[in-house]
Amino acid sequence: MKLDLKQHWGGALLSVALALSSLPALAQDGVLDRGIGSEWSSLDPHVNFDAAAAWVQGDAYEGLVTYAPDGAVLPGQAESWDISDDGATYTFHLRDGLLWSNGDPVTAQEFVDGVLRTLNPETGSEKGYYFYSVVNIPGAEALANGETTDPSVLGITAPDDHTVVIQMATPAPHLLDLMGAFVMTPLHGPSYATHGASVFIDPTNMVTNGAYTIAEVVPQSHVLLVKNPNYWDAANVAIERVKYHVTEDVNTELLRYQAGEIDVTYDIPLAQIVPLTESIPDQVRIAPSTEIIYYSFNLTREPFQNIDLRRALTLAIDREVLENNIVRGGAIPAYAYAGGFDPSYDGPEIVEATMTQAERNTLAQELYAAAGYSASNPLTLNIVTTVSEDSTRRAQGIALMWKQTLGVNAVVEPVERKAWLDAFYAGTWDVFADDLVGDFAGAESFLAYMRPSAEAGYNWQSQAFEDAMDAAALLPDRPSRNEALAAAERILLDDYLFAPVAIVPSRHLVNPALKGWDTSVAGYNNSQWMHFE
Amino acid sequence: MLRFILKRLGHGALTLGVLITLTFFVIRLAPGGPFSKSRKLSAEVLANIERAYHLDEPLYLQFGRYVWGIMHLDFGPSTRFRDYDVSDILASGLPYSLTIGLWAVLLASVVGVALGVAGALRRNSIADYSAGIIGVAGIAVPIFVIAPLMQVLFAIKLGWLPVGGWNDSWRSLVLPVVALSLPNIAYISRLTRSAMIETLRENYVRTARAKGIGGRRVVWRHAMIGALMPVIAYMGPATAAMITGSILIESIFALPGIGRHFVDAALNRDYPLVMGITIVYGGFLIVFNILTDLVRGWLDPRVRHV
Repeated sequence: MKLDLKQHWGGALLSVALALSSLPALAQDGVLDRGIGSEWSSLDPHVNFDAAAAWVQGDAYEGLVTYAPDGAVLPGQAESWDISDDGATYTFHLRDGLLWSNGDPVTAQEFVDGVLRTLNPETGSEKGYYFYSVVNIPGAEALANGETTDPSVLGITAPDDHTVVIQMATPAPHLLDLMGAFVMTPLHGPSYATHGASVFIDPTNMVTNGAYTIAEVVPQSHVLLVKNPNYWDAANVAIERVKYHVTEDVNTELLRYQAGEIDVTYDIPLAQIVPLTESIPDQVRIAPSTEIIYYSFNLTREPFQNIDLRRALTLAIDREVLENNIVRGGAIPAYAYAGGFDPSYDGPEIVEATMTQAERNTLAQELYAAAGYSASNPLTLNIVTTVSEDSTRRAQGIALMWKQTLGVNAVVEPVERKAWLDAFYAGTWDVFADDLVGDFAGAESFLAYMRPSAEAGYNWQSQAFEDAMDAAALLPDRPSRNEALAAAERILLDDYLFAPVAIVPSRHLVNPALKGWDTSVAGYNNSQWMHFE
Repeated sequence: MLRFILKRLGHGALTLGVLITLTFFVIRLAPGGPFSKSRKLSAEVLANIERAYHLDEPLYLQFGRYVWGIMHLDFGPSTRFRDYDVSDILASGLPYSLTIGLWAVLLASVVGVALGVAGALRRNSIADYSAGIIGVAGIAVPIFVIAPLMQVLFAIKLGWLPVGGWNDSWRSLVLPVVALSLPNIAYISRLTRSAMIETLRENYVRTARAKGIGGRRVVWRHAMIGALMPVIAYMGPATAAMITGSILIESIFALPGIGRHFVDAALNRDYPLVMGITIVYGGFLIVFNILTDLVRGWLDPRVRHV
C-alpha cells in the first residue's frame, strides 16, 4: 500500500509554481461537490465501515441491488431475483453484458469472491458479521473466525456466470437491504491479484463496476470520481464528475456551501440550524436516520436494579423540550427504541407517548418515592456522554430535568469518543448516553442488539424477549415479522433497561439547482440519480 | 564548528530517542484502543485484526519492532486510515504543510521585521502606534476568530478567494498563509522593535555614529544584525511549528496537511500515526534549533564563544 512519493512531492512543487505564476482559477462547471465530514477510514469496499465513505463506495461500485434516492430497493447488477417459499433462499440473476470499468465482464463468482474477502481474517474487515449475525448464512462465521479456509462451506454460491444464490439458515426479509454495494461489492480478481489492496486507492489500477470510477484520491482533501462509460446504465447518468470533499470543520463547510464550493453538505452547524431553517428552508434537509439515542441504566449497580426507579427516570425526561428547546439539533423525540423511523413498522403501543409531560412527571415522582428516594434521600448518579456539542447539551438537559422533577443529583461526565467507549465496557457509569446505528433500516437490527448473543454488554436478559425474537426470526415476510418484532419490543421497553430519547437526524444543505437528491433513512444518495438544472 | 554541529546533532538524536520512547508508552495509557468501536467486534475478529497490527504482542516487543522499523524508515501501518502506511500519509500531507508554512514564514519575517524597524525608528509616531495595534491584535485575537472573518469578507462578500480546500491554484494559498503568519507578524514586529531600540543604544552603534557614519547605514549595517538576534532565536521553533502544519489553519481552511492528521490520529488512537507525526515534528524542531544557533553564531561572535 504505497503511494507514489515522487508524484506527491511533485504536486507540492507544482502548487508552488502555480502560486508564483498567478494563473486564474479554472471553472469547475458541472462537478457535483459533496461534503463527506472526516476523512474516510478506507476506500477498500470490503473494509470500509463508514457511512460517509459508503457514498463514495455506492458511486464507484454496485451490488446485486441498488437503492433509489428515497431508499427503495431497485435492481442493480442483478436484474431480478427469486425468493424461495420459506424465504431462506434468494437467487439473483445478473444482467447480460455487465462490464467492469476496464471492459472485463462481471461474473457471479466475483460477488462470492467479494464476500469471501470480507470474511477472510487477513482482510481485517469489521463487516463480516453482516453475513452471520445480521442474516444467518451457513459457513460465514467459521470463515470469519478462521476455523476454516474452505470456501465451499459458505452458503453463497455462483452456480453459473449469471446466477448468485444465497442460502440462509433462517429466513430474512431484510436480506435485500444488505445486497447493495456497502456489503456486496464484487471483487475484480485480476487487478487485486496483481496489486493487492492498493488497487482500491490507486486510480491507475482501480477497476470498478458502478456508475463512476475513482480518478483521484488526495488524503484529507478529496476523492474525485468520473463517469464510468462501461456502466450498464451509463446513458442515464447525468453528472460527469463528482468530488467528495473532506469537510471536517462544520463551520468551514457552511461557508464553502455559501460560497458555492460545496453543493451538498455533510452536516449543518448546530447553532445555524434554526436561523438557516428560517432563511433558506428549501435548502435545509433534515430527516430521521437509523441512529437512535438512548440512555442506558447500569443494571450491575444496585439502585438501577429497581425497575420503578428506571421507569421514573425514563418518564421524567421531557423529550420535546429537550430536543426542540435545549439541544435544537433537529433530532426527533422518541419514546420507542426500534424502527421509529421506519414507516412499515408500527411498533408496540407506548403509554408514555400519549401522556402529557405533567402526567409523566407526576407518575415519575410517585415511582421515585416508591423506590425509596426523597428530597432528604436523593439519588446521586453520573451520566457518561461524548463531548460533542449536542450530546453534552442533551446530557445536561436531562440532568436538569431529573433534578427539577425528582431531585436527582446527576453529574454529567463528557469524555472524548474512545474514552466513552472504554467507559461503557469498564462499567464506570450509572447512566450511559448510548447510541446505536442500525445495520439496515429496520427494527430487527436494533432489537437483535439487545439479545445476549450480541454480547453488547447490557447485562440484561429475558426469556420472554428471547422467545419473541426467536418466533419473529422464523417469519419470512416483512409485515408478519414486524408484528412479531413489535411484541418483542414491548417486552424490552417494559423492562426499562434504558430510556429511549431521540432519533438522530441526517442534516444537509442542498444546492437548489441540484435535482434528484432525496432523504432516506439509510442515507443512500447515489450521485447517478442527480442532475443540475 | 563541525564539532559544534556534531555535538548538537548528538544531543538532538538523544532528545528524539527520549521523545519516541515517552510518546510510545504514554499514548497507550489513553483509554480505548484503535479498534474499540461502538459496535463491539467479536473476540475472534478483534484478535485477527490485532494480530495483523501486532497489537497482541507484549509491549516491549511492540516497542522493539517499532524502533527497528523507524531505523529502516518504516513507520508502520496506520490503524485509522486503513489504506495507507504512516510514511504514505506523511509524504502526502507534508508538501501541503510545507508550502503553506514556508510562505507564512517568509511573509511573517518580512512584514514583521519591517513593521518592527519602522516602529523603532519613529517611536511614538502614527506608524509606531499602528504597528503596535497590529501587534497586540495579532497576538490577542485568536486565529479561529480572524480566519472565519477573513473567509466571510474575502470569499463570501467579495468573492476574490475560495473559502477553503486546495484546488484553486495560488488563490487557495492566500487566506491560510495570511492567517498563519498574522500572530507571527505580531510577535516578530514586537521583538524587532524592542531589540532595535535596545541596539540603537549600544556602544558599538554609538561609536559608529560618532565616526560620522550616516543614519541609514548605521541602522542597516550595524544595528540591524543586533536587532535580528532575538528574532532569529524565535524563528527556529516558529518555523518548525509553521511548516509542520497548524491544526487550526488546516481544519478552518480544509487543507490536507499533516496538522489535522495529528489530532485525528490521537482521537482515534492511531498509535503509529501519532508516533510518525511526533517524530517529524520533533525532528524539525531539533534541526531548526540547531540551524538557529548556527546562524546566530555566524552573525554574533559572542554566541560562538559561549
